[in-house]
Amino acid sequence: MKKRWSTRTHYHLMVAPGLLWLFFFSLVPMVGIVMAFQDFNPSKGYWGSEWVGLENFAYLFSMGDSWQVIRNTLIIAVSKMVLNLVIPLVFALLLNEVTHPRYKRLVQTVVYLPHFLSWVILASIILSLFGYNGVVNHIFGLFGGEPKVWMQDAGIFRQLVIGTDVWKEFGYNAVIFLAALTGVNPNLYEAAAIDGAGRWKSIWHITLPALVPTIVLLGVLSLGSVLNAGFDQVFNLYNPMVYSTGDILDTWVYRMGLVDLQFSLATTAGLFKSVVSFVLIVASYAIAYKAADYRIF
Amino acid sequence: MRRKIACLSMAIALTICLGACGKPAGTAAQSSTAEPSAAPAPETAASGDLAFQKFAEPVDVHIAMGVNPLDTTLPEGDSVDNNQYTRYLLENYNINIICDWTAANGPDFDQKVALSIASNSLPDGLSTSRMYMLKAAKSDLLYDITDLFSQYASEQVRGVMASTDGRAMENASYNGRMVSLVGVDVKATGPSNLNIRKDWLEECGLEVPRTLDDIEQVALAFMEKKPGGRDDLIAMMGPDKNSRVYGHFLDSSGAAYGFDPVFAAYDAYPGYWLDNADGSVTYGSAEAEKMKKALGRLADWYAKGIIDPEMGTRERSAEVANNGQAAMYFGPWWVNGYGGSDVFRNNPDANWQTYPVYDDEGKWNTHLNSVTSTHTIMSKNAPEDAVKAMIIMSNALLRDESTFDVSVELGWYPIRNLMAPYDECEFTYGELYKVLEGEVDPAGYQVPDSSYKLLGADVVKVAEVVENYEKGQELASTQFRKDDMGKFMRMHSLLIGNRPLATQTPDKEVYSITYTMTETMEKKWSNLKKMEDEIILKIITGQTPVEEYDAFVANWHAQGGDEILAEVAELR
Repeated sequence: MKKRWSTRTHYHLMVAPGLLWLFFFSLVPMVGIVMAFQDFNPSKGYWGSEWVGLENFAYLFSMGDSWQVIRNTLIIAVSKMVLNLVIPLVFALLLNEVTHPRYKRLVQTVVYLPHFLSWVILASIILSLFGYNGVVNHIFGLFGGEPKVWMQDAGIFRQLVIGTDVWKEFGYNAVIFLAALTGVNPNLYEAAAIDGAGRWKSIWHITLPALVPTIVLLGVLSLGSVLNAGFDQVFNLYNPMVYSTGDILDTWVYRMGLVDLQFSLATTAGLFKSVVSFVLIVASYAIAYKAADYRIF
Repeated sequence: MRRKIACLSMAIALTICLGACGKPAGTAAQSSTAEPSAAPAPETAASGDLAFQKFAEPVDVHIAMGVNPLDTTLPEGDSVDNNQYTRYLLENYNINIICDWTAANGPDFDQKVALSIASNSLPDGLSTSRMYMLKAAKSDLLYDITDLFSQYASEQVRGVMASTDGRAMENASYNGRMVSLVGVDVKATGPSNLNIRKDWLEECGLEVPRTLDDIEQVALAFMEKKPGGRDDLIAMMGPDKNSRVYGHFLDSSGAAYGFDPVFAAYDAYPGYWLDNADGSVTYGSAEAEKMKKALGRLADWYAKGIIDPEMGTRERSAEVANNGQAAMYFGPWWVNGYGGSDVFRNNPDANWQTYPVYDDEGKWNTHLNSVTSTHTIMSKNAPEDAVKAMIIMSNALLRDESTFDVSVELGWYPIRNLMAPYDECEFTYGELYKVLEGEVDPAGYQVPDSSYKLLGADVVKVAEVVENYEKGQELASTQFRKDDMGKFMRMHSLLIGNRPLATQTPDKEVYSITYTMTETMEKKWSNLKKMEDEIILKIITGQTPVEEYDAFVANWHAQGGDEILAEVAELR
């Protein structure tokens, strides 16, 4: 036992910074959860503030907009999750069939780039693209469309949020699939070709099955963020006109906690979000194990 | 949530380390003794005068500052805690300013203040809004300055506070104890007026509009004739995605690029708690009939293309004015001048004039702001000397502001508290025109009341800035020299932006019963406010028919509005 420890010291050292980070920035702040059960008063601190039991939760769910906010969050987050899995997959499969290597690499690099832009910058670009005098209206104008201000329309705000997020991230996610694709044994394709399988057949019977572990892994990992609809993005894009479809848990918590200083209520909403996410992670993990015999831990 | 806060504070802490504030206090102290102060020394204070005493030993004051990220006036090498103002404080009062953190003015700074309150880590002093002051006071985080203030406040500060009939002192206090230094705002911040390109009006051969009907006619004419050759002309600007549609009780000044005068012309005062003549108490936004008329008008303007189609989604409305597209906008006195030097720098021919908006009977209605503005709050854990120092800093600012070289933006003065007699703008207007008309000689000018602390400097500036004024004419923007934008902005705002209030008395002046939150509001206001913001913008932009407003009002009453109205009624 002792020997094992000593031969592995360098691994432990490598993990240590991550663990320290986890301890100080994830575990220690969890003490603050108690605020959800208190009428928190900063000068009295965590232990001196008045305990109110579940009152904050009761109030949270009695509020007119809490369900609306939860619905928006779920719709945006789930759509993003699904599309961020399907579109990069399709894209990677298509790109994998491209035989010209330089063109392939060029495309891969170009679609990868938006991933590195922060939403603060990207949001202003999108706001002007979809603005009254933006490119989108010009294109619509060519086909006889009436110009409109897209960001004022609550009916399409969610689609815009989802669409722009997928556009930003699909290149990055496709890279992971492309990496997995390089691991497929080329002999299999040759054998299939000899057996008379066309391109579609070999994608269906060879490429896709080879990708299943990666798909499941990415899917399961993303389930943890089922209530993360993307604060940076929504916060930088939304305005009061699209609250009905665009206000998500995180922006709501932000306004509640940091604009209106209702610390306890904001913590309550945050805790609610964490609990739901936790349940979903555990469940999805069990499903992944059962359905695909896949274990992360 | 906690994790978010931790990450956020970490990120902010990093930014601060990298930013100007990272300079250790020692360097600030050294360099300031090495070079002479840019600000003139005040007359030697009589020994024993506590209000302007010089500490025997340097006193460290830890502060947090909201800074203007676009500011270009701070000289190279200076920083937030080492500039002409902090050096002035160190030399004259032995006050050593140490800045613990900075953030950009507005939402960023407010966020950091909120975090400091939540984590019980306020610096010795910072300047913030009333809402945050109350939250900190309620959480028992603030220094009780009642006694120190009575010993250390200068006569001038007391005078300005007294000019508000005790309302300033009341607002500075919590449970009968004084817990903040409060800024006193000018009356001119309340009313919002029409600002219009007079040169375009003349180009189209039109009269100055008085009523909403007139404004509509002018707007349509502008859109048709495209004065100045502007194909991209925007007849009426609107609020951006972060700004207000109208001043409300928590932020009661007129909204820059908002629509306050349109509501007021229908005798509607959204966002204000109204004490009606019949003894009833109502919330302005919940008066459905009046609101629907005003909103119907705005929706009509929007549909006709008069109002900026991108209102509510722009990052910054001011850009529309800066690039010369704008023909008209509403706003309080400071917007037409202080609101943007670029408006005039980019469009030197523009003649922006300010006029009141009348209702159909020719009456000028307006709401008026809370008399107090920002609060300087001091941490309960601050050393007594630091608290004394901050009271002295506020005295010193009020006494010496006019002698400072404000080519370095006055916002760099540590925890600046605006202190102005209520009628300062109007009084100054009168005096400045006397100078222009030659009735008063700026050379030997005696300021009639020392609380008009900028007047002495203003009478000198006006003679430098304004050219070729002829008695009786309407002063035009083109008559102002623009080489010193600091002077230009102040003079333009005072002489043109403030003309309506300085030359006329509104026919109806409306105050809010309260300018702070009641107990129920603290819980329910964010929900009600969200509903209100959403419906107002949606109706104006035509996303929702105006009839829907009735449903909003019913909801508003049901979801806590009635409870809050009862609380507000007790405050009368």
